[in-house]
Amino acid sequence: MVTAGRDSLEIVTSSADAWWSPFTTTVGVAIMHVDLRPDPVREAEAYARLDLSERSSWRKYLPGPRRRFSLCRAALRAILCRWLDCPNEQLSFGISGYGKPFAVVGGVRAHASFNVSHAGDHGLIALGATGRLGIDIEERVPKRSLDELIEAVMGPEEQAELAALQGADRLHLFYRLWTFKEALIKALGTGFSTDISRFQVPAAMRWGDAVGAFRFPHLPSVAWGLEDISGERFAAALAYELPRTANARMPEDGR
Amino acid sequence: MATTEERIRKLVDDNLEVDGRPIGRPLDLNSSLRDAGVSSVDFVAFAKVVAQEFNVTFTLEDCAKYKTLGELIAFLDAPSG
Repeated sequence: MVTAGRDSLEIVTSSADAWWSPFTTTVGVAIMHVDLRPDPVREAEAYARLDLSERSSWRKYLPGPRRRFSLCRAALRAILCRWLDCPNEQLSFGISGYGKPFAVVGGVRAHASFNVSHAGDHGLIALGATGRLGIDIEERVPKRSLDELIEAVMGPEEQAELAALQGADRLHLFYRLWTFKEALIKALGTGFSTDISRFQVPAAMRWGDAVGAFRFPHLPSVAWGLEDISGERFAAALAYELPRTANARMPEDGR
Repeated sequence: MATTEERIRKLVDDNLEVDGRPIGRPLDLNSSLRDAGVSSVDFVAFAKVVAQEFNVTFTLEDCAKYKTLGELIAFLDAPSG
């Protein structure tokens, strides 16, 4: 294991010409915002930081996804290199069985927990020293098929609460719940192989609390922290594995 | 009668957008919709459309399992699909 070479999350601050910047810090997790707006100079600089494998992926993408991938991945590289105190050339990424990336330095898996999400012109990178992390960001874009989506991905109480709302309020709650759920399955590391309709966001968080705790019904031994980190421009949520000592004082779970 | 591939391509054209525009070029059957920039929300919505079009049960787990259009078409063409 390669361990983090720095003690403080403050080291992940960025320089003035970087396209990423501190967004918020919570419970030992630093969250960076990545500016994904079109910028040929930044995109060229980002591409130059990618390794051969990443450049191969880059070529498969359409222009928009290509820009988001390169700007986000290059920002992640810069942040991790600083955190792990390693040169960019020594950093690579492995992929778990469900597609979640992890950092490798000099061929050894690094002791750094991170997760990335992007939507539109915004990316978010969560970074911590320990524990599994999941982050999700979504633009609150209206959907023609919102009713069908709600039926497909929400639990019964969530569906009832969404049915009581209309218009922008309904859309806001939908994306709030979605980002909580996707952040949780990303933290768990299973992606959509875990059916997000089979668990519900804790009631207090559905009703407005920004911070809460959660357990998956099929995995009650592990506790997760959950935070709403939305901004005006997007819905976003962070999920993080709680230390085992926190399990006994969980205020609520999602069963 | 349209093939499964033709029907899937039409569903992609009719339902999926990236950056507010149709995906706009014939998708490689070996590429994933997520790689093409389709959001997770749209990805799940598309799965519902596919389930309705082909009258099959298509769960969120299936969405995760069939990552490329080629894998999805193979699933739909299989006798139990």
